[in-house]
Amino acid sequence: MANQNTAVAAKKKSSLDKLGGQKFIVILVIIALFLFFSVMSANFRKYTTIVSILDYSYYIVLMSIGVTFPLITGGVDLSIGTGLICYSLVGGYLISFHNFPVWGGMLVTVLFGVAIGLVNGTLVAVMDIPPFLVTLCTCMITRGLGAIIVGGFGITWPTATQPGGWFRNIFKISIDARTKIPIGIVWVLILVAVMSFVLNHTKIGRYTIGIGSNKEAARLSGVNVKFYHIMAYVISGLFAGLAAIAYSAVFATVQPGTGAGFELEAIGGAIIGGVSASGGAGSVTGSLLGVFVICLLKTGLPFIGLQANWQQIITGLVLIGAVLIDVIKKRREVH
Amino acid sequence: MKKRFFAVVLGAVMAVSALGVVASAEEVTANGDYTFEIIVKSYQSSYWQAAVKGIDSEKEKLGVTANSNGPNAESDIADQVNMLNDAIAKKPDGIGLAACDQEAVLDSLQAAKDAGIPVVLFDSGVPDAPEGSVYSLIATDNYGAGATAAENLYEALKDKIAAAEAPVRIGEVNQEATSESITGRGLGFIDKFAELATADGKSVAVVGNEYYVNNCADAGDEASADIIIEVAVPAQTTVELCATEASNIMNKEDLIGIFGSNQVAAEGILTANGNLGILGSDPETSVLAAGFDAGATIKAAVTDGTMFGAVTQSPLAMGITTVDVLTKIANGEEVEDVPTEGYWYNAETIDDESIAPNLYD
Amino acid sequence: MGEVILTMKGIDKSFPGVHALDHVDLEVRRGEVHALMGENGAGKSTLMKVLTGIYTKDEGTITFEGKEVEFHNTREAQDAGIVIVHQELNMLGHLTVAQNIFFGREFKKGIGIDDRKMNEEAAKLFERLNIDIDPTTTMSDLTVGKQQMCEIAKAISHEAKVIIFDEPSAALTEAEIEELFKIIRDLRAQNLGIIYISHRMDEIKVITDRVTVMRDGAYVGTLITEDCTKNDIINMMVGRVIYEDPKTHSMVPEGAPVVLKVENLNAGKMVQNVSFELHKGEILGFSGLMGAGRTETARAIFGADPKQSGDIYMNGEKVTINTPQDAVNHGIGYLSEDRKRFGIVVQKSVAENTTLATLKEYLSGIFINKRKEEKVAQEFVDSLATKTPGVDQLVVNLSGGNQQKVVIAKWLCRNSDVLIFDEPTRGIDVGAKNEIYKLMNKLAAEGKAIIMISSEMTEILRMSDRIVVMCEGKITGELDIAEATQENIMNLATREIS
Repeated sequence: MANQNTAVAAKKKSSLDKLGGQKFIVILVIIALFLFFSVMSANFRKYTTIVSILDYSYYIVLMSIGVTFPLITGGVDLSIGTGLICYSLVGGYLISFHNFPVWGGMLVTVLFGVAIGLVNGTLVAVMDIPPFLVTLCTCMITRGLGAIIVGGFGITWPTATQPGGWFRNIFKISIDARTKIPIGIVWVLILVAVMSFVLNHTKIGRYTIGIGSNKEAARLSGVNVKFYHIMAYVISGLFAGLAAIAYSAVFATVQPGTGAGFELEAIGGAIIGGVSASGGAGSVTGSLLGVFVICLLKTGLPFIGLQANWQQIITGLVLIGAVLIDVIKKRREVH
Repeated sequence: MKKRFFAVVLGAVMAVSALGVVASAEEVTANGDYTFEIIVKSYQSSYWQAAVKGIDSEKEKLGVTANSNGPNAESDIADQVNMLNDAIAKKPDGIGLAACDQEAVLDSLQAAKDAGIPVVLFDSGVPDAPEGSVYSLIATDNYGAGATAAENLYEALKDKIAAAEAPVRIGEVNQEATSESITGRGLGFIDKFAELATADGKSVAVVGNEYYVNNCADAGDEASADIIIEVAVPAQTTVELCATEASNIMNKEDLIGIFGSNQVAAEGILTANGNLGILGSDPETSVLAAGFDAGATIKAAVTDGTMFGAVTQSPLAMGITTVDVLTKIANGEEVEDVPTEGYWYNAETIDDESIAPNLYD
Repeated sequence: MGEVILTMKGIDKSFPGVHALDHVDLEVRRGEVHALMGENGAGKSTLMKVLTGIYTKDEGTITFEGKEVEFHNTREAQDAGIVIVHQELNMLGHLTVAQNIFFGREFKKGIGIDDRKMNEEAAKLFERLNIDIDPTTTMSDLTVGKQQMCEIAKAISHEAKVIIFDEPSAALTEAEIEELFKIIRDLRAQNLGIIYISHRMDEIKVITDRVTVMRDGAYVGTLITEDCTKNDIINMMVGRVIYEDPKTHSMVPEGAPVVLKVENLNAGKMVQNVSFELHKGEILGFSGLMGAGRTETARAIFGADPKQSGDIYMNGEKVTINTPQDAVNHGIGYLSEDRKRFGIVVQKSVAENTTLATLKEYLSGIFINKRKEEKVAQEFVDSLATKTPGVDQLVVNLSGGNQQKVVIAKWLCRNSDVLIFDEPTRGIDVGAKNEIYKLMNKLAAEGKAIIMISSEMTEILRMSDRIVVMCEGKITGELDIAEATQENIMNLATREIS
């Protein structure tokens, strides 16, 4: 018996290591990347560059927070990237061409995301279609839908100086032309905290983990599995909608037909941050950290003078590395 | 060397043909009561409305009939094909078409050819069009449009370059290095800027993206150059990567000017400037940026002077030229492909009658 | 035993093509442990699914605490006080013990979940059950036995009045089974009604008060455990007499050649310096407690897991086995203990599974010769007495015992020289067990060399010619069947622990 207890204790330690360990590694990677790029490029360590990195990361972080939920159920949501563009196009279109107030357009943007999430969730949870397939289809649908609704043209949300441009200040406050406060990071961190709480300390989160851990067991516990399974996708859609607002606020024109590939950065970030590719495990803070690795690479590699093709190769290698860590971890668990 | 030769020849051809257009535009007269059907990509957008405006003014001038039409959106491919088929059924003297889709119109083009109706394409070509169906292609000369940006930017920066004691840097952000239109603009800018600077006794080097370095007229030597043109291409064609590439260049102290060769690239430069705040219209105190195309953001930036100026394509001119070419065909004259120019606009000229209709939101 | 708490009367249930339950009766009293027995496919699981609301009955009545009831889902049954401890553990590995126990009915605190209170309540439950488990441990870090305890704690936390144990001991060590029985006795003392489903005859005698036997979906009878013998129950289950006599001496002919020789095999902690020889025509039993490293040894030999060092000789020649494919090519077949994960492709037919490892032999050109495949499969179905409507039946629709037979057929089909049977009769009913035993004896007599990993002592003593005992990754002893007894095997199996 004594032996058994020590075995349990030893395993317990490794599980702690499992949860906190990857985050710790990711933080080290972030610090290492930041130091490396700072040493290699004087321009990289400027305040304005850091503000830029944050600017360009908000929408990916938000997508990543949301997609963490379907990922933990063992599914995936591929529709968030093209969905983001679609929601942003529609919201911006209503503001520009139908005299919607900006807050109205923002509301429609978010609600559209929620609606697509609801469709995804229903098809996955009720109709029992594989998530990969469902969201691949909605990925294609949103890509076309956005373009059709706005008539095939790029849509610009109000610029900072136009009436309604206030919403751009949600993410960045301008003191003067060269001094900006990246206030968006505060909102993002608050949302991360809120969703961390939701994942770890509410029924929605608990059952999300339950579904990814052992769906049948969750069902046999009398949980309305379908409802909570749908909720995971609704959360993903909601955050794709919020990401659409962040995207519209930071960038100028939203072009129809784009957005494919955004989801991979969000999902890649989540996986780097420790979300298990087969579900059950993961954390919102981990996803946040993982996304920062990707954003640092995206910004840092051009700054050290690497050309386009090399940037893609290195980003791909880092992602493979992250997935490998997951696979190796899993293999250890099996034994 | 081959490329260089090609560029020179291309430049020469364009100069001649540009002259040709101007000359023929004055000469065109309609030898009959012709009727043309002209279909644009989308009847709703301001860009295509500008083309329709050009068509309408030219048809009145020549005394011909030109009915213009177009689907609600560029994505309504089937609608456009139906309109094209209706147009063929009306047996006009010629059809002008800006095709939404290169594949979908092939059957109709064959039908037009079989019916003996000449087709003139404008704005976009159809590479696989049936032999003999398309008489002329009227589209923006991207290489020349890039050169237009270079001319205007160089003019504004000439004194600063002449006075510079250390090498100065010109940036260029291209969304990608594959499509003909973008590479044409990018190379046109590089080659023209280098040509003008060399004429003033300055040496130029081109660095950055391999495609542009290898395909420009002369990449020069970075170590000894007075002017360094740095070309950036993002890893993906997304706006945030364009912005990242732009901020990388814009962070360099020796930068005096930067060019974004399409809307996305130009907006990337403006997005980057959102944090850097270095752009303006005075070469002594700020970096000058040149953009391409329009859109609300670029228009606002040009109006308030953040962006020094931009090149726009001219749907208005395309509309005029389309009617001219159709009339010449109906007259029985020989026609060729017609490259149209890019037009420079800045804070003063943005509201001009010849410019404003070309600028979409 | 107290008054009757649950009565199921005339329960009838049909599925398309199968009459699963034919007017079955069951009566459970407060404070009794009631065994529900029957071969695989006898309808025990179906009956329990009807009781807990997973299936709807076609006919019959369920009376619970004097009232007629009908549950539409597990939740309703739970709320009424009928809970089931499943054979396959329904745990959520990524959550803690307390989070598992209260999954689906968490304590709330504001908008969040009150994990602290859940931990306290779980600790109280464990105290009541006299179990030492920390409620904040992550579930997947517990041993299978402890996980089972958590399942029981969860069942009790529902204010259960009737608890159903579905083969609870299948994955437990002897010590853990003892602990389980202690808990069950406690629960009985607290006047709960307990339904106990198991294949292990020994346990039935030890723990239960009454036995209800089912056969082919029908009710056979109910006995008072004390008043009947093992054979009485078995006879009711199978309708024929089965003897479970241990082998007295080795059946291997004198001087039989060594077919497989393993020398100093090392693979992680669970396989340390393992060496043994296997003779032609021999059944070599591998005995030991759960986690002794027997399966790991088999998997390392078979190339399913990497090995650090060690040599393997087949018929005197040294061979390299790095993948299962290598092993199969050298004539080794492995019947996994976990059929669903490794043994069969459940969504394929019996015939397709049978020929899975030998598909080459059934090809006509590039096409599979269906007729030949089905003919061979049918032969095995007949010789193994696999219960299936036909060889085109999907394996997923067969019972566990019959699935095992399909796996055996697959390797027999392959004509392997060495067959490794890992827990060949786990979850298989008595009748089918006997057939598999006969089959193994026949194969040995034909000259096959067999390694049989088994946790059942009677099985080891009945089948083996020689017995290797492992403990914590090492071989602790080797016994000829003539000298082997339950006691000296257990001694070797626990050598390093005690």
